[in-house]
Amino acid sequence: MRKSIYFSVWLVVLLIFVAPLAYLVTLPTLSQFIEILTHPNQLTAIKNTVLVSLSVGICCVVLGVPLAWLLTRTNLPGKEKLRTWFCLPYAIPPYVGAIGWIILANPNSGLLNTIFGLGLNVYSFAGLVWVETSFLFTFVLLTTLTALDSMDSSLEEAARLSGANAWDVFRDISLPLLRPAIFNGFALSFLATGASFGVPAMIGGPARIYLMTTQIYTYQRMGTTQGVQMAIGVSVLLMMATLILLFLVQNTIGKQKSYLVGGKSTRPSLLPLKQATWPVFTLLCAFLFAVFILPLLGLLISAMSSVQGQWSVSNLSFNNFYRVLFQTEETWRAVTNSLILGFSAAGICTAFSFFAAYFPAKTLLRGRSLPGIFASVPFSTPGSVLALALILVFSQGYFGVGPSLYNTLGLILIAYIVKYMSLSIKTVHDGYSQIHPSLEEAARISGAGFGAVLRTIYLPLLKSSLIASAFFIFMPVMSELTMTILLSGPGLETVGTLIFSLQEYSDVAGGGASVLSLLVVTIIFTLNFALKKLSKGRYGL
Amino acid sequence: MSHLQFTNVGKLFSGDNWAVKNFNLTINDGEFVSFLGPSGCGKTTTLRMIAGLEENTHGVIKFDNDIVSDPENKKYLPPEKRNVGMMFQSYAVWPHMNVFDNVAYPLKFQKLDKATIKKEVSEVLKIVELNGLEQRKPNELSGGQQQRVALARGLVMKPRILLLDEPLSNLDAKLREKMRRDIREIQLRLKLTLVYVTHDQKEAFQMSDKVVVMNKGQIEQIGTPAEIQNSPSTQFVREFVEIGAS
Repeated sequence: MRKSIYFSVWLVVLLIFVAPLAYLVTLPTLSQFIEILTHPNQLTAIKNTVLVSLSVGICCVVLGVPLAWLLTRTNLPGKEKLRTWFCLPYAIPPYVGAIGWIILANPNSGLLNTIFGLGLNVYSFAGLVWVETSFLFTFVLLTTLTALDSMDSSLEEAARLSGANAWDVFRDISLPLLRPAIFNGFALSFLATGASFGVPAMIGGPARIYLMTTQIYTYQRMGTTQGVQMAIGVSVLLMMATLILLFLVQNTIGKQKSYLVGGKSTRPSLLPLKQATWPVFTLLCAFLFAVFILPLLGLLISAMSSVQGQWSVSNLSFNNFYRVLFQTEETWRAVTNSLILGFSAAGICTAFSFFAAYFPAKTLLRGRSLPGIFASVPFSTPGSVLALALILVFSQGYFGVGPSLYNTLGLILIAYIVKYMSLSIKTVHDGYSQIHPSLEEAARISGAGFGAVLRTIYLPLLKSSLIASAFFIFMPVMSELTMTILLSGPGLETVGTLIFSLQEYSDVAGGGASVLSLLVVTIIFTLNFALKKLSKGRYGL
Repeated sequence: MSHLQFTNVGKLFSGDNWAVKNFNLTINDGEFVSFLGPSGCGKTTTLRMIAGLEENTHGVIKFDNDIVSDPENKKYLPPEKRNVGMMFQSYAVWPHMNVFDNVAYPLKFQKLDKATIKKEVSEVLKIVELNGLEQRKPNELSGGQQQRVALARGLVMKPRILLLDEPLSNLDAKLREKMRRDIREIQLRLKLTLVYVTHDQKEAFQMSDKVVVMNKGQIEQIGTPAEIQNSPSTQFVREFVEIGAS
């Protein structure tokens, strides 16, 4: 039984996770690459992608690193609360923020422009970089926070005793030791920008700043053979660039060296900010307001405004909520579809991980860690690329065998499973590694076979990991846009694609996208809160 | 009557890296045998090979007349089929089950009815002095009590052989002394065949009928506690015994 399960895990991973991307890579010919690299539009898209991603990555580091330091190494009041608040944008889909910022700062009727006359234009390079940064800085913040938390603070204290002041210590000790973590955070935010679709489509589109992901969407939507070939070519370029960069970063400068707390854990001595305390605190609150509260406030005002872009109390009502939530058929179709997809993906990923994570965590079988590594490749691959690969492989049956899954919920479900499985496997794997091997051995000696061990020992002991894994899949699926937009057709709306089409085409003046965005944010925060309570703070932000 | 027999048993990790080598030993019915040696000497590996948690790469292990492991003839009985009890160094008491369920677990696989299970569990809990604590969860028990749960779970299945892997190393000195006497007393009363792994000379000499001194994966000497103490056969055994005495 153990052998056949291991074999099945390998089979599923090879057929569903590896084959589509491997197939995609073999498609473009050299001449197609040359055509792309000499085509002015494509060259511009590549240049834009690099430029925007680089700018976002740098901004994220500039904001995230000092923030992490302030939140761990100073006596700032309310540090724990602030930490939670600053990490929250991590859970929100950035396209929701894009809608918020369009409401606040579009050149014609942006609220900040009409009320305060600030003259902002979100449809610009700076606007695009700002919106991406306001979400992705959390990547740098989280990696740096983790590194600071686990770093042996006596390294820094020794420098203090040597006569260095706080700034010297930060520059000479903390920063160099944090370099791998900062680099990883930078790479993550850089790559996430390159892979994002919602924000560049909504903000870059009107600004005529096209990125590779939006190009893939445009070409795929053309539906012509030439268009699809272009989409494939750009996809393969984007995927190769992403994976190579990720591999380089993770194996060179980003490789975590451990300056971990040795033996007994030490509590870092906190730097007193003295008279700077309240100015710094105010600055952080203002920053939090700008990146997090302000766009949500914009969404709320827009969702309640009868006429968009105007601010007056008489303009506010719940009419948009009523119309979108109770009078629009698409809304319920989209919510139902998203729920079905969310529950199915969460259930399937978690069940699969329960078996798949057993082997790397608990056995010494040859090749045991490979399925997990293979599953992490689609997770790192930009969603647009993955969706295209799955369309190519599944649209005429699986490589021509069986029924076509194109334009079905089935293919969207497969895409979600392939994309997010890695999150689930990692969570369950961590759960397995915290269970002492003697618990399984004692059961085996008592007469339990492999099936009984899984059922009576691991299933109950892994309960919290399995629940967390289901949440980790469910949350991104509820708001997924990048892949779904390429995979969904008529009748297959999800919450994400409905928000996108309301915003872009069908309900520009009605505030419908804002209503649904608020719904998504509410669902995500409720789930996150529930997970945190259920797991007693072990999981969730 | 010989109960457990090792013939040229070995465990080769890789190349020339032997965890256990040329291990020959006969354990008789009702005998209390200790494997004694410094850490890394192969004593725990040998114990785990008896249980089937590690597979020996060489030689033959026999229970009575049944061969349980013979790699040359591709014979290997998995642990769940060996009917061996084991008490782990980490106790391995399942945190999601109460005392009763922990102890009753091995009986589930012997297809006994509920009443019988209940009777057997309560008998064995009486032996280890845990009666009345059936419904407690492991986190509501002291270290010593958890240890007794682990012992009860090993006893309840009426194992062919009971294995104990440094079971007392996590206890304080006073409790350790009491557990030593209790384990020996239970072993004599139930006429158990028992293998006890320890690095503590005093413990081995106090409890055992037979002591196997091991070093670097090989047997240095086999004998009664008196034989080993009075006439150590190698330099290593002499030094190891002296350290214990001082």
